[in-house]
Formats: sequence, structure tokens, C-alpha cells
Amino acid sequence: MSALAAALALQQSEPNTQFVLAVVLGLLFAIGTFLVLRRDVVRVVWGITIISQATNMYLVTMGGLAGSVPILGHGEAADPATVANPLVQALVLTAIVIGFGTTAFALVLTYRVYEEHGTIDLAELGENPPETGVSANTGSTMDGPEADPEAVTTADGGSQSGTDSSAGTAGVGDD
Amino acid sequence: MSSETDTTVIARTVVRVVVPIILLTAVALLLQGHNLPGGGFIAGVLTVTAFALVYIVFGREFLQRSLLHVEEDGFLGGAIGEYGRTFTFGLALAASAGVGSIVLGELLDDGQFEFLTQGVVFVYHVPVYHEIEIPTALFFDLGVYFVVVGALLTILAVVGRE
Amino acid sequence: MTDLVVAPLLVALFTAVATLPLRSARRVQQAVSVAGGVVYLVAVAALVRAVKADGDGYLVYELSNWDAPFGITLVADDLSVLMLGLTAVVSLAALVFSVRGIPAVGQRLSYHPLYHLMVVGVTGSFLTGDIFNLFVWFEVMLMSSYVLVVFYSGPDETRAALHYAFLNLLGSAVMLLSIGGLYATTGTLNMADMAEYLAAAPASQTTPVLGLSAMLFAVFALKAGIVPFQFWVPDAYRAAPAPVAAMLAGVVKKVGIYAIVRLYFTVFAVATLPPGPFGDNATFLAFFGPVFLLMAIGSIVVGGLGAVGREDLDGLLAYSSIGQVGFIVLPLAVAASAVPAAGTAIPGDGIVTLGITAALVYSVNHGLAKSLLFFVSGALSRTLGTVRFDALGGVSERNPALAGSFFIGALALIGIPPLSGFFGKFLVFDVGARAGSWVVLGVALLGAILTIAYFTLAWARGFWGPPSDAVAGAHVDRSFVLVAAVLAVAIVVLGVGFGPLYDLSYEAARSATETQGYVDAVLGGSQ
Repeated sequence: MSALAAALALQQSEPNTQFVLAVVLGLLFAIGTFLVLRRDVVRVVWGITIISQATNMYLVTMGGLAGSVPILGHGEAADPATVANPLVQALVLTAIVIGFGTTAFALVLTYRVYEEHGTIDLAELGENPPETGVSANTGSTMDGPEADPEAVTTADGGSQSGTDSSAGTAGVGDD
Repeated sequence: MSSETDTTVIARTVVRVVVPIILLTAVALLLQGHNLPGGGFIAGVLTVTAFALVYIVFGREFLQRSLLHVEEDGFLGGAIGEYGRTFTFGLALAASAGVGSIVLGELLDDGQFEFLTQGVVFVYHVPVYHEIEIPTALFFDLGVYFVVVGALLTILAVVGRE
Repeated sequence: MTDLVVAPLLVALFTAVATLPLRSARRVQQAVSVAGGVVYLVAVAALVRAVKADGDGYLVYELSNWDAPFGITLVADDLSVLMLGLTAVVSLAALVFSVRGIPAVGQRLSYHPLYHLMVVGVTGSFLTGDIFNLFVWFEVMLMSSYVLVVFYSGPDETRAALHYAFLNLLGSAVMLLSIGGLYATTGTLNMADMAEYLAAAPASQTTPVLGLSAMLFAVFALKAGIVPFQFWVPDAYRAAPAPVAAMLAGVVKKVGIYAIVRLYFTVFAVATLPPGPFGDNATFLAFFGPVFLLMAIGSIVVGGLGAVGREDLDGLLAYSSIGQVGFIVLPLAVAASAVPAAGTAIPGDGIVTLGITAALVYSVNHGLAKSLLFFVSGALSRTLGTVRFDALGGVSERNPALAGSFFIGALALIGIPPLSGFFGKFLVFDVGARAGSWVVLGVALLGAILTIAYFTLAWARGFWGPPSDAVAGAHVDRSFVLVAAVLAVAIVVLGVGFGPLYDLSYEAARSATETQGYVDAVLGGSQ
């Protein structure tokens, strides 16, 4: 707590860094939001990635901007007031790892969407007409043929058998 | 040069020099990760970068046949199976590293160690290094390293195969 | 034996690890997976016993042996173990269902490891006493559920899966933002430490926390699928295979509810609002009460009306779970509005405790009944290939046991005595009446009528009458019927012998509102 107060005090002493970071954060969030609202799935993934990176940056600034590296070295102890808060850096490391995983997943997902539908336009995905009139329910997978393993290609699982019988999107798009 | 890709000599030469350096850096980061910048995750990512370089410059076939000595990849077999096993091994190692403390606490019977409790052993009088620090966190880091390497290589292989 | 606290987490984690290399041996993998589910149930039961046997009812476990405000703390109290118990039952049932309910090729991929990782995430969320750690467990849970929803759904549901994944990814970013802000404002991530700070802080310092907690609430509402954050629910539940949908509706949603109860009634409840429209010395809950109420009303109306208009069983169940979550939030809203001024202890027999008790009873009931209904729907769709009402019909004649289970599950959600759902609904009405709120009573009544309406429709169109061609020739796998029947029996037993469930929920509600006890247990140090 005292370290935090010190960090906050330091922040106040460096208004320029503070200001620049605030502007950069705002910009990043703006860009991210703009991209998320696009129809192109890849852009949406980029948008989400940028937003989560902006979040990470925001977290780092919460630990105090000025000061020396967080981990105190050997020998003479540094004045806590000049040291940035190390905890947020640990948090950001965790968040980066998680963000890394989610980004990889989102990209694989995008790839699968492209493979299955031949488009990465969200609006075009939505207007896929039902083919057989059977429902869009779990049945389509559950019922999927106990297909040959060769038909499966994705990294983390999931049948891409593509021969799934029903293709209706009836009732989808309630939002 | 068993390359089927049309990369330049420059690229191939650079990769030959750079890949060992990357791998060495990765190992260094892995070993110092418990109390200095580094750790299993970033070491794993670096290792995969090295693999990715080889992959891009020399091609997937070269990577899998000549380096990893695995034959054509089937489903859950071949190279992808290999990566999957790396992943599994890493996950098991990381999880066991946490439980190890509980087990040790019970065995040594000198107070209880919580899940994930870490310790460190110093080995003195080692030539050149003088003293070596063996932290239990290293096992956890090693597990994370294998998880990251396995997962990323799987993604690389699967997406690359398409 | 405080190691018991971490036991369910480890069991699920090691089951996930053990099922990974067994992917080529399908039978063995299934056996290990189900065995893992059984051991998980046993571990949770042992933990429940340990918490009940413990004097103050809090088992605190400090990971890595770091003392409380600094390290990550796991806390098992009455509230956590109640939710864990629900998780254990539903997840085991869903696992047994999965053995035949997920196509073999899907299981051969990473279904079982992912499933257990999801259970790890859920368990961690229920146990953790650290707000950032809560985020991490949410991510573990969500990452697995994305893959389960996305990759086990058909090509035509990819869009739904995309919505589910992207919305929750954004939600996670917002959650991280609010947690970062909370850390910057309060200087701690430990929930107990944060509660202590907030209790002592003057209103001027807690104002930023109000905004951050509101942001955090939006994230939890997104996870729980409360209006206006419900729009991903119907598509995602329809896209997910039945056992996963059952887990999502039965358990993962409850993680959002749990987080709301834990953070808002235990931690933020002690913070003082700045003087304003809610009067001096009001707590944060005075602000959140009306918010909860509006969202609960929205959920009940949207969920109920949406469900009535569905043409397929899955969609009906998905909308129904939006409405039912409204029923869980409704008593919470009453409880939040009834919280006394800051600094006063919450009485054990007041509306606050009763409201939370009602919400918890309803959560357990909904968790069991809704997963049962998803199992029935999954059994039908696995057998028939569709759950559209125009293709169903006459299931009760063809397979009375399955239809009977559906009937019991539907009655439990409608709230017919002596099923557990009756007490859930009864408590909600009781809370509304005691608070003297006509709005709450009216909305609950409307919701109840809508529930009756859509389940009557489902029953009449899907289960009654002469068997349709598809149904007449169908043979439902025995394991599906067994799972559904066991859950149905559980619902009846819980309803007939309602005492223990009420006691458990009441104590959980007590422990949720006793901030001081929580703080003492965590920061007092178990060491």
C-alpha cells in the first residue's frame, strides 16, 4: 500500500509521461473498438487483440510509471518510493500469456470459418440460407457421422466432417 | 541442400547461424526464469520461433523428416502426435511440480507445504560456475516450456499443412 | 487437512492431464474421464464435510505458502462448497452422457481433456479469494468452453460460436480493465483485504470503485447471460453439444451468479456510497439493487417471451435459461435493496439473507433441472437428428422414462410441489412479499406464467400425442435415459427432503453476507 502511494506520488511528478500514455491508451482503445465493429472477421480479431493489449498497457501504468525496475537488486536496498510496483507486471505477464492463447484460438477459428464458408464476412455468414430445412440444433453435430478420422483437421479438436446433414440457420440471428 | 522452397542463399545461411543462437537464448531464459526476466513461456515461444524459421526457410518436410525424424503425419500420429505428447508431458510435469510440494511436505513431516510451494537448493563448489542454484520452480518452468512448445508447434503444423 | 481445499482442483486437473495421452484408446479414455468425474464428486463431498466440521466454516488455503494479502488464497466456505456440489453432480452427469452423446471422432480429439479443464476453471472460480485469480480461472473455463462450443458445433453454427467467443473475449478485456482499476484504487487484489480497505475508506475514496464494480458487474452479467447481455445465449447453447450446453447452462452461468454474490454481497457491500440520491451512508448495494431489479425484470420478460415463440426444443431451453436466471437475480435485487446502511451488520434472519438463500436454492434447482432438460433434448437430437417440434411428438408413448424425466424437469422449473423448484419459486415470492414490493411479485408471477406456457407448449407439441414417424422408429440409448432419470430422481428427492438444501443455502447466504467473518478467516491467517 505504501509502495502504491509512493508510485502514485511519482506519477503525479511526471505529468508528461502520464499524459502521453493516457492519449496512447485512448487511441488504442479507439482503434480496437473501430476494428471490432467491422464485418471482416480478421479485423475483429485484430480489434480484440488491440483492445486486450491496450488493457495490458493500462495495467502497467497502474503500477506507477517512473522509478527503477521493480525487483530490488542485491546489496543496498533501493528506496521503495523510486521502485515501480512489481505486482502489476506479474499480472500483465499472466494476461499476456492468456491473450496469446486467445489470439491463437481466434485466428484458428477465423481460419476454420474461412474454410467452411469461403468467406470471412460476418454479414455473409449470417445470411447463409438453410439448405435442408432441418433445424440448427445440436443434432447436426451429435448426429454427425462417426466419420473417418481423415476428415478431421483442426488443431484443438472438432469434427470438420463437413458432411453434417443439416445446415439450417433457422432461428439463428435472434440478436 | 534438401530444400524444396525457393528461398535465397542469404536466408538459408542466416537461419543456420541464427537458429542456434535463438535456441541458446531460449535455454538461458528458461534457466534464469525463476528470479530474473525469462521463464518457461518466453523460452518456449523463442524455441518455436527457431522452429518457425527453419520451417519457413527449409520447408515443413525438412523440419519433420530430417530434424525430428518423423514420417508423414497422420491424424494424432506423426509430427502432430509428437507435438501432442510434448504438450501432455509438459502439462503433467507442471501439474506434478505443484503437487510435489504437498507430497514432500507429507514425507519430510516438518510442517505442511501448500500446493505449488517452491524451494531452492544451492550446489556449491562447481567448477566454472562456482555455485548453482536449483530451484523447484525450474520444474514448473520446464513444464510450461514443453506446453508452449507443444501447443505452438501443433498450431504451426496443422495450419501449415493446409 | 486443508489440502482438501485444493483437492477438487487437482482431481480435475490431473484427469485432464491423464485423458490427454489416452486419445488413441477411446474406451480407456472414457473410463478415466468418468472415473475422474466420480473422484471429483468424492473430493467435493469430502470438502463439504470438512467445511461443515470446521468451527468458523472457512477453510483457507494459501497457495505457495504466501501469506494472505500477498499470495493467492483459496477460500472454501459454505457458499463455495454449495456451488461446487452442484458442479460435481452436473459435471458427472454430463460426462456419463458424453460417452454416448458425443460422436466418437469428437471424443477422440480433445473433448475429455477440454471438458475437465473447464471443470478446473469452474472449480478455481468458486474457490479463489483473489480477484485477479478469478479472472485467470474465468479464462481457463472460457477458453475450454470456446473450443467445446466452436469445434463441436456444426459448420452452420460457426457464426453463433464466433459471437460467443468474441463477446466473451471482449468481456475478459473489460474484466481485466476493472480489476486493474480496482487494484490501483484499493491497492490489493485479495478480496478480504479489499473488503477491509473498503469498509474503512471514506466515501470520497470509494467512488471510483463504484464505477469499476459496475463495469465488473457488466462482465459477470455477460457470463451469466442476464439481459441486456443475453444475446449470445440462445445461439451458443444451440450450437453446443448437449452435455456442454448442460454444463454451460447448469454450471458456467452459475459462476457468474456466484461471482456477483461473492463480490457484491461480501466485498462491495461494505463500501459506502458518496452522499447522493441513495442517502447518506448507503452501501454500494443500494445502487446495485435497482440495477439488479431492472436486469432481472428484463431477463424474465425476454427469456419467457422468447421461449414461447421457439420452434425447437434447444432454443426453448436456451431462452428459458435467460428467464430462469432472471428468477435468480430477482431475489438478489430485493436483497441488495434491503441491505442496511454501511457499518451495520446484516441480520441473519432479515430479507437480505433470505433473498440470497432464495437465489441460491433457485440456482441449484435450475442447475439440476436445466441440465436434465438439455440431456433429454440432446438424447432426442442424437437419436432423431432434430429437436424441432414439428418433427417431434409422442415421445411420452415411445419412451416414457425419457419423457417422464423431461416432465419432472419442466415441473421443477415451473415450480410444482413437492419438487425442489417449488421451494425456489416459493422463496422468491416470499422475499418479494416480505419486501412488500408489488413489482417483484408481479414480475415473478408473469415469469411463472410464461414458464408454464412454454413448457406446456413443449410438452404438448413434443411429447404428447401420437408418435411422429421419426419418433416411432427411434431407439434412445439407455445411458441417456439413465442420466436423465437419475437427475429427475435427484430433483424429486431434493424437493421432498428440502430441509438440507435449505440449510445449506441459508448457511451459504449467511457466509456471503458475513464480510467480517470472511475477512477474519482470510487475513487472520490460517498459519
